[in-house]
Amino acid sequence: MALRRYAFMARIAARQQLTYRSEFVLRAVSMVIFMGIFMALWRTVYTAQGVTSLSGYTLTTMLWYLAITETIALSTSRIFLEIAETVRSGAVAYTLTRPAPYPLLQLANSLGTTLPRCAINLVTAVIVVGLGVGFQVGSLPGALAALLLDALIAVLIGLLAFWMEEVVPVFWIYQKLLFTVGGLFLPLEFFPDWLRTLSRWLPFNFITYAPARAWVAYDAAFVRETLVGQLLYIGLLALIVAGVWQRARRRLVVQGG
Amino acid sequence: MKSAWRLIVHYVRHNFMAALAYRGAFAMQVLGMMLNNVMLLFFWTLLFQRFPLLNGWDLTGVVTIYAIAASGFGLSVVVFGNASWVAALIAGGDLDYYLVLPADPLLHLLVSRMTLPGWGDIFFGLLLYVIAIPTGWQRLPLFILLTVLVAFFFASVGVLTGSLAFWLGQAQELAMQLRNATLSFALYPIDFFPAGVRGVLYTLIPSAFVGSVPARLLLDFDVRWLALLSLVTVGICLLARWVFYRGLRRYASGNLVTTRG
Repeated sequence: MALRRYAFMARIAARQQLTYRSEFVLRAVSMVIFMGIFMALWRTVYTAQGVTSLSGYTLTTMLWYLAITETIALSTSRIFLEIAETVRSGAVAYTLTRPAPYPLLQLANSLGTTLPRCAINLVTAVIVVGLGVGFQVGSLPGALAALLLDALIAVLIGLLAFWMEEVVPVFWIYQKLLFTVGGLFLPLEFFPDWLRTLSRWLPFNFITYAPARAWVAYDAAFVRETLVGQLLYIGLLALIVAGVWQRARRRLVVQGG
Repeated sequence: MKSAWRLIVHYVRHNFMAALAYRGAFAMQVLGMMLNNVMLLFFWTLLFQRFPLLNGWDLTGVVTIYAIAASGFGLSVVVFGNASWVAALIAGGDLDYYLVLPADPLLHLLVSRMTLPGWGDIFFGLLLYVIAIPTGWQRLPLFILLTVLVAFFFASVGVLTGSLAFWLGQAQELAMQLRNATLSFALYPIDFFPAGVRGVLYTLIPSAFVGSVPARLLLDFDVRWLALLSLVTVGICLLARWVFYRGLRRYASGNLVTTRG
């Protein structure tokens, strides 16, 4: 029953996305640009080195890997902007009377926004990379969990506005963690051993690296490990968000109407 | 000219003082941006550790691109902060305020906003110059000159892309994509791209002039390239100005009543 409420919220957000069609489509332009850059860059690397395989990646698998990490990265949630603004303006007080907790509503809102975005980014990436280096079929296990994990982190960043004047820099750091230890630009196989081990333990690789790796080199054991990691981090982050929300509500001072 | 300079200086001072009113947020944005940029370089350090030289570029070359592009971009959004908002201001009918005042409307509009994280980009670029670029103190004036040229270049790109709104109406997203493309491509050495793309990067998306060209100039000075870069920068500034005022003829006020603090 309660789930229907959130599904409804997500559907509204998705429909909002589809209303502004030109903006929605223009987002695909970013994908074309980034994949164009990556294709040029990695062609240079492979040709300059005169090799066909680096750390187990051929030029083709490398570009498909990057297509998936970029698809997810360009679809990540910006819900923290809305949450921070609601907290700053004080409008968050009105959300307390709603029949569902505010963080959960925003989580649904976020997923409703990111899912259609992810779909169009995926289609664009497949077309661009397919035309560039040849089409390849893959599966995306864990992509949904990746977006949920990302949405939880975005909600958490937004709630930090109860304590911080400016939360956007926290988002930058999170985004760059995805770029680096999340394996967005460079698969974890390229890292020195210690860094790869560390990155595998952190939550960021479950958002970008793991789904992309599963696409280019499907391995049941790896996928299982990924799903377990994702679920554990989703549980942990959900607990943190709940705890932070409880403390945040106590900080809320309603001064008249 | 003198009055334009005074307008810039006064606005920068005013905006800076305003930023200091929220010191915590200001410091957070500056430090956050510096950390952000440091982490972007991580990819290149790993890549060049395995392949020290790629198409004539090494890690120092890429670090130089980052230093100049970051400090130039930072300077442009600190001084001409509204360059990223031109399309929104046009579409929202917000130009009225600037049109009725005696100062040059385009310049006045550009300097009215300061984007605070830009300070982080400036410090990051300077810091990189001091610790990672082997050209030493003698070339610091050249670095600063290149930074200023790049800042004017970025601001002109902002005005040119934003002015699309005069003809298209809603152009915020398109303008943003074009600006981002200019910056994104600038952060990669131009020789990594095939000839056709290189042509685009010198013309339609002029990233070469805010990344590879000034970086190479700093590392391997050639007065002819400096002359060319200066000429191109002046050219794009004049073009941006011309396009903006051309578009302004099409501008219709929204009769929007707003208050300004």
